[in-house]
Amino acid sequence: MNRHSWREVKRQLRESGPAGLVAVVLVMVGSAWGGLLWTVHGWVHTELLAGDRQTTVVAVTRSEGEAATLREALRSRFPFVAAVSLTPRKVQEELAGWFPELSTVLLTLDERSFPPILQVDVAPGQEEAIASFLRSRPEVTLVESSRSWQARLEQAVSRFFLAGLVLALTLLVGCGAVVLLVVRLLVLNHADEIAIMRLIGAHEGDIRRPYLVSASILGFAGGLLGAMLLVGLEFALRTALPALAVEHWLLAALAPAGGLTAAAGAAFGLASLPREP
Amino acid sequence: MIHLENITKSYNGRPALRGISANADRGEFLYLTGPSGAGKSTFLRLLYRADLPDSGGIVVNGADLLRMRRRDVAEFRRRLGVIFQDFKLLRRRTVAENVTFVLSLLNLPDKDQQRRAYLVLKQMGLQHRMNAFPDELSGGEQQRVATARALVLQPDLILADEPTGNLDPERSHELLELFKTINYQGTTVVVATHDRGLIEAHPARTLFLDRGSLVKDGWGSAS
Repeated sequence: MNRHSWREVKRQLRESGPAGLVAVVLVMVGSAWGGLLWTVHGWVHTELLAGDRQTTVVAVTRSEGEAATLREALRSRFPFVAAVSLTPRKVQEELAGWFPELSTVLLTLDERSFPPILQVDVAPGQEEAIASFLRSRPEVTLVESSRSWQARLEQAVSRFFLAGLVLALTLLVGCGAVVLLVVRLLVLNHADEIAIMRLIGAHEGDIRRPYLVSASILGFAGGLLGAMLLVGLEFALRTALPALAVEHWLLAALAPAGGLTAAAGAAFGLASLPREP
Repeated sequence: MIHLENITKSYNGRPALRGISANADRGEFLYLTGPSGAGKSTFLRLLYRADLPDSGGIVVNGADLLRMRRRDVAEFRRRLGVIFQDFKLLRRRTVAENVTFVLSLLNLPDKDQQRRAYLVLKQMGLQHRMNAFPDELSGGEQQRVATARALVLQPDLILADEPTGNLDPERSHELLELFKTINYQGTTVVVATHDRGLIEAHPARTLFLDRGSLVKDGWGSAS
């Protein structure tokens, strides 16, 4: 890139006008969304779906007395397990303890919303035998294990992530398409000039490079703004989700990713350039 | 320097050149003349490979244009100085940028570009218009910028299509004198013109074209 090429880049950035601005905004939104999706996905898997968590099986009973009876029966059948009867109030506190990220919400609910339960902490792999035993008892109205909740949550998160990924890809393609249109528009406006440049000895690279650089700058700027938007979102969400943290490499990658996306769009846009005979 | 062998070219079925064969040696000065539509511009376009002939062979400056790879075309054109009838200046660039652009393609240092551009523009009497844009110039000034751009590379071959078309007689003769001087230094010059007065004032070998055919290869302006 020589001085002429950089001046041409400046001219093209000026000429891209509102369409260029739309491209920047799209890249910003797309990169921020992609970054947020990645961050939330990582947070859910680390904080909520960690595989090494101790499994807890809970059996819901109609009364606290039935919970005590059930505990005795369980101890006689599985002497090695630790089981405790929990009052509704205790259940509420325990749930808040399991999911500290949701504790604010859980602790505001009415105590009567929670039933008396028997809580059994078991090593991973034993929960099926204990859950089967509890289901067979007449005192029990419902048996749940944290593992099954995790599985359901994981399924829901996967669906959400997939939908988010589709949206991110759509935005990515949209960014590329807008940059493609911007470059095509510029190429159309500069058709005569491009023909002249060829006639006086410019290589295809000399002609195409400024367009690719201009588009990359638009994409890079969009990615940079996207990174700033993501940092802002992180701060906004930190009060509700303290463990949510955007990784530094992700922030650093957004601007180059935006630049690359835009450059790819520009490369497609330049495909419309007529060739030498 | 130039070798054309039985060249034919037509556009949309209408013949523009019919079986032209001609040669020009290195260091030769050559006029190309004939009435409008005779095929002068087509002849020149084939020489700088803006078009390819329908049949025949062309060798220019040692390069066989029909066998030339696309990626070699730019290098080939950098050894030519072409002055276009419609100037073909870069509208969004200043006079100085129009001239230095071709030098930048050779990756010359900025200072060298500026110096060479200034010298050639001074030679054309345009040193005071270096920062003007083409649309701010008169037709004659634009023609001189186009000439400056062609000369600044010190090419092996100059192809000029009606280079005096927008110049007053005094400027026209000055330009022809300049071409002659450059020609004496060894550069081959081909000037397409319909100005017989100019050919009479600066006689040289002349190819006469009429309706796409080469009707005479002689000296000076002849009917």
